[in-house]
Amino acid sequence: MTDKSEVRTALYGQTLIAGLWRENPVFRLLLGMCPTLAVTAAVKPALTMGCCVIFVLLCSNIIVSLMRNLLKPHLRILMFTLTIATFVTIADLFLKAFVPEMSETLGPYVPLIIVNCIIICRAEACASKNGLIISVIDALGMGVGFTLTLCVLAGVRELLATGAIFEIQILALLKEGGWFVPWAAMGMPVGAFITLGLMLGLVNVITKKDA
Amino acid sequence: MTLQHCGRKGLVMLKIKHFIQQSWLLIVASFFFGLLIAVTNAALSPKIVQNKINKRNRLVGALLPDAKNFVLDKEIEIESIQGKKEKIEVYRAMSEEDECVGWSFNADGSGFADKIELVVAVDKDFEKLAGFDVLASNETPGFGDQIKYDYYRDQFKGAPAEELKLVTSGEPKNIDAEIVAISGATVSSEAVVEIINSFLTQIKEQMQQKGQISNDRQE
Repeated sequence: MTDKSEVRTALYGQTLIAGLWRENPVFRLLLGMCPTLAVTAAVKPALTMGCCVIFVLLCSNIIVSLMRNLLKPHLRILMFTLTIATFVTIADLFLKAFVPEMSETLGPYVPLIIVNCIIICRAEACASKNGLIISVIDALGMGVGFTLTLCVLAGVRELLATGAIFEIQILALLKEGGWFVPWAAMGMPVGAFITLGLMLGLVNVITKKDA
Repeated sequence: MTLQHCGRKGLVMLKIKHFIQQSWLLIVASFFFGLLIAVTNAALSPKIVQNKINKRNRLVGALLPDAKNFVLDKEIEIESIQGKKEKIEVYRAMSEEDECVGWSFNADGSGFADKIELVVAVDKDFEKLAGFDVLASNETPGFGDQIKYDYYRDQFKGAPAEELKLVTSGEPKNIDAEIVAISGATVSSEAVVEIINSFLTQIKEQMQQKGQISNDRQE
């Protein structure tokens, strides 16, 4: 009996770690590149986007996992998209009502969560084959992994583009008597591609060492 | 039961049965999810609308410091830059003593990357601009989005409410009909001037025709 529960706990831990590092959606699976590149100019929008993805991922994984035995194979993608679209719309409405400024900053990228591959990938690969608990843990792991990655990326970009993190000035700007010259390109798409590329390289080097 | 054994009617029934069998979950889920969205929307939409009004009032309030509340005065039909007919809501800004202190309206047009939505405020006689602010835009960070910055917007505060002109060099601190473009963002600067020109002249003309401007309590 203890053996069984130990195995189960180990499985839960594995699932959680998979999303955070081993199968990190951005660094290892290279999924969800659109928000990764588009909303990481500053930490705040990146964090908001991450929270929205966690919410949608959690809800869709729960629903898909609950109805996994009722799904007809050829209609399953349709059901996934329907479920995801519903929760994205709800998340979008909540953002508009409670953080209108953030909702404007994110613009079309909130509705675009519908086509975020991470969520449909988790519905297909995990929730439609596993029970409720595994699905929930998987959603949390993947969602938090995605959010953390986005925040790290956004932190680097915001620091180089404005000298601030979370809108708190860290590096003294040249025009205010400091030494740091803001690197405007980092706030633009160019900065996103360069930062993401360098980070992917870094992660590859680290994982090679592990193996 | 094979297909040969049942008649035409039976075949249709069979097809319908097959259809329902395959897609009942989809149909039920669609209803359920639709209901979920409808409930959320009903619960949140008053707040969303209020947020929009608050933002607009806050921006106009900064441009017309005497204004206490804003009353929808009338809708004016104008022709947009693309030549489409548009209905524009013109708001009358009222002071604490219930006097008209100015007017404001929303204006939009295409910018460098995306649509630019502005709110424009004018004094009570439509003689001077009280300024503008950006409701929504998607201009390049660091360049085009400087249309939101004070040094560009301040050029419009007190500028004559007539055809404005964009110049590439000059003194931005001089308040006149000449607006100095943001270096590196001429398209965005031009777009703002063009939007304001197009909306302002048409609205001013129609307000004058209706005798609304010189006599502000007349309806």
